[in-house]
Amino acid sequence: MGRRKKIVQECERLMDEPENIRNIAIAAHVDHGKTTLSDNLLAGAGMISDETAGEQLAMDTEEDEQERGITIDAANVSMTHEYEGTNHLINLIDTPGHVDFGGDVTRAMRAVDGALVVVDAVEGAMPQTETVLRQALREGVKPTLFINKVDRLISELQEGPEEMQERLLSVIRDVNELIRGMTEDMDDVDDWTVSVEDGTVGFGSALYKWGVSMPSMQRTGMDFAEIMELERADKRQELHEKTPLSDVVLDMVCEHFPNPVDAQPRRIPRIWRGDDDTELAEGMRLVDEDGEVVFMVTDISMDPHAGEIASGRVFSGSLEKGQELYVSGTAGKNRIQSVGVFMGGEREEVEEVPAGNIAAVTGLKDAIAGSTVSSVEMTPFESIEHISEPVITKSVEAQNMDDLPKLIETLRQVSKEDPTIQIDINEDTGEHLISGQGELHLEVITQRIEKNQGIPVNTGEPIVVYREQPQEPSAEVEGISPNRHNRFYISIEPMTDDLVETIKLGEASMDMPEQERREALQEAGMDKDTSQNVETIHGTNILIDDTKGIQHLNETMELVVEGLEEALDNGPLANEPVQGTLIRLHDARLHEDTIHRGPAQVIPAVREAVHNALIDGKIKMLEPMQDVRIDVPNDHMGAASGEIQGRRGRVDDMYQEGDLMVVEGIAPVGEMIGFASDIRSATEGRASWNTENAGFEVMSDSLQREKIMEIRERKGMKLELPEQIDYI
Amino acid sequence: MLTFIGLGLYDERSITVEGREALRNADRVYAEFYTSELIGTTIEDLEAHHGVEIEVRDRAGVEQEPDDVLEAAASEDVAFLTAGDTMISTTHVDLRLRARDRGIETRVIHGITAQTAASSLTGLQNYRFGKATTLPFPYAHGADGLPGSVTDTLEANREDGLHTVVYLDIKVGHELTDDDEYMTADVGADLLSEEYPDTVGVVVARAGSPDPLVEAGTMTELADREFGDPLHLLVVPGDCHPLEADALVELAGADREDLEIA
Repeated sequence: MGRRKKIVQECERLMDEPENIRNIAIAAHVDHGKTTLSDNLLAGAGMISDETAGEQLAMDTEEDEQERGITIDAANVSMTHEYEGTNHLINLIDTPGHVDFGGDVTRAMRAVDGALVVVDAVEGAMPQTETVLRQALREGVKPTLFINKVDRLISELQEGPEEMQERLLSVIRDVNELIRGMTEDMDDVDDWTVSVEDGTVGFGSALYKWGVSMPSMQRTGMDFAEIMELERADKRQELHEKTPLSDVVLDMVCEHFPNPVDAQPRRIPRIWRGDDDTELAEGMRLVDEDGEVVFMVTDISMDPHAGEIASGRVFSGSLEKGQELYVSGTAGKNRIQSVGVFMGGEREEVEEVPAGNIAAVTGLKDAIAGSTVSSVEMTPFESIEHISEPVITKSVEAQNMDDLPKLIETLRQVSKEDPTIQIDINEDTGEHLISGQGELHLEVITQRIEKNQGIPVNTGEPIVVYREQPQEPSAEVEGISPNRHNRFYISIEPMTDDLVETIKLGEASMDMPEQERREALQEAGMDKDTSQNVETIHGTNILIDDTKGIQHLNETMELVVEGLEEALDNGPLANEPVQGTLIRLHDARLHEDTIHRGPAQVIPAVREAVHNALIDGKIKMLEPMQDVRIDVPNDHMGAASGEIQGRRGRVDDMYQEGDLMVVEGIAPVGEMIGFASDIRSATEGRASWNTENAGFEVMSDSLQREKIMEIRERKGMKLELPEQIDYI
Repeated sequence: MLTFIGLGLYDERSITVEGREALRNADRVYAEFYTSELIGTTIEDLEAHHGVEIEVRDRAGVEQEPDDVLEAAASEDVAFLTAGDTMISTTHVDLRLRARDRGIETRVIHGITAQTAASSLTGLQNYRFGKATTLPFPYAHGADGLPGSVTDTLEANREDGLHTVVYLDIKVGHELTDDDEYMTADVGADLLSEEYPDTVGVVVARAGSPDPLVEAGTMTELADREFGDPLHLLVVPGDCHPLEADALVELAGADREDLEIA
């Protein structure tokens, strides 16, 4: 029997003992060493050879990942580890750190109970560190900290023991400050800050495969002085053998991360809003492998042989081949064709996967990342909200018309796998638009279409996604149907940032019980009467029905909403989406007979009213912004800050950190296209930088008209604005 | 001058003599057939019979872009034709108001409409009808089941013991097939039978034609029958006067047992 086979068998045995299972994710800022650390753990568990760990990047399974040296998809793997005489099953998800792939991180957090946050000892906590921490904590996932690249402090920076200690403590302080700030309002967790004394912090070098923690130092009797000596003397192999990284980290995982039985009772109320008095809820709290099946899909991937694979967390019951399961948001059932677990890039089929584990199944053809799959119909899990909205769009065209059907199918597949990707398929022109988190995000997606599917495509220049938003409340505006028998009276007002944030985070949505939605909206500052009249939420816009007792309005509301959505998806300025607007329907006059208030009458009437109200509210263009941080040697600082300022950007802060200068600022996404190569040449390749999407800002008045006309021209719209728009 | 002329119920000969004269003397003739149609004739036959050219407008051409019609009417005699009577089941009063708004003289020349035919053919008395309603195709009104406007109207009339005319939907130039689609009485009865399975309905088919048909039965029964070529409409009798009941039994083959006799 091969070694791998043995491990699979051991995993299968352990799957039935939820107390000994740990579901964890490794998350960090880009390049802080997550994947290298994951490889260490795999090697420690005997899944890849010890020698190649660190170079193999076993978890970066896609060719482009190994080429680019970054992780793009979240990858799953199961392994076993013996801790205090008991064998544990560890289901690990490695997540991407690059900001463009944040959606993958958020989804991975839903499946796990613990997050090992990796921070580079030299760079310290970086913007993405904060983001991944927030993603973990919002899902109720407990953090621990591993400080990586300590070898560089010793060998490269030649730091002494005190200097080094000070540096490590400051990293821990920074991380704890973030954790404290984020958990302040969470009453379901106690103190989740990390500390060396508790053993929730580890140090080491993933590259040289050694690591220590307080408990490990007590066990091995090694102290910092000895470690520094061995590291300085280049005796890293000896160091690895004496205190291997994988043991230290996996011990920490077993000791400090909750098992599913501990975690689920706390996490379920956070991620599921169903009735907690039911047997179903009980099954999830108890991690009952004999209960009803509840499976949350967090990832969809393609296997060339098996087809579409849905992976995610089994919260209750056991997944088995042949089960017929409901998929949230779709009618009918899907039949499970096979059940398995991930071992590195490969899927191993097993008989069944019980509650508390991460499973990979085939046959769920209707599932997308985020679906709730269950043996009885149930309230679905909270949608997995990723904070970033798409900011960049690119057109994709098949080079050969024959490939068109295949391309459309592939694009649909892509958006199923990664819901942060938005696909607009235009069957008329054959030009399809994909929108995502950044240039790199789209580049990777289009490359995969070409390479994996073998469809040669032409792509357009990246186009920035804009928004439209009114700047002040409007007067009440009348919209009249073409037959003039139906009239709608509508006003709009811009919403407060608090309200917009509440909707963006999914804290108030149409999926939740009305009472809860009302409370969430009131908490964000909406008055009571308004919160009781919410008719629908579309994007970050809310429709309030302030009418009273209008006959036939119920029948017609569906069409009103349709007209509203059309008006909001295509704003009056340049057909860009409208955001952050509260729309009030005050009154309506409807024709007696349904025939005279059909879609052809109601939709245009509502659309016209909404657009005119938006214009009366002085609607303006907003552009997406990015926070930019550049780390650069002192003598290139001017060039680096020039790159931000030259892009209509603003430099907010410059400070010394170690031997580098840090430049922090903000700039429009539209101007950031091509930044990567420009900053490289401006600083002779000495700068490292990081960008993070920072929401939308109103463009300056002087740029409004120019930008609107540019977009209208691109979209083939009329080049005159409606005459009421006299304020731009 | 803008003259609204009702063409009546069936073919080119259903128009009144006054209407025919006004039509033949008009400088320009417009027509719309999206609210109803003349089943017994075609536009070409209508043009040939009256020796005029007719420009047919679609819904948008009447409701949203009627400017050229109005401009023509400002200087010439313009006739605007519809099936039935021009102001009954349609919404052309808006066009008339717009014309008056521009200082254009208007007049209406009546045609026979389904409303009177329903009364005449069934023997139900005109003064005992309540509000009328239109039964739309299920895909056209955007909700499941019977629309509230239909059930509300029927309930209110029945409460008061009044008869109800139920017009059946017409779609002219279907988006996909470009065919005209008429709801037949069996389809209408089938929709109504969901809520009113045992209520009596009276089918009036091809009113105004040489072979009109009047047939009564419960909605469930009517749903299984066929009534031939369009146009069809349904009458739901309320409480019947004994003479009305006699008429329904004699003229429409109603079962006396099923009727509510006042």
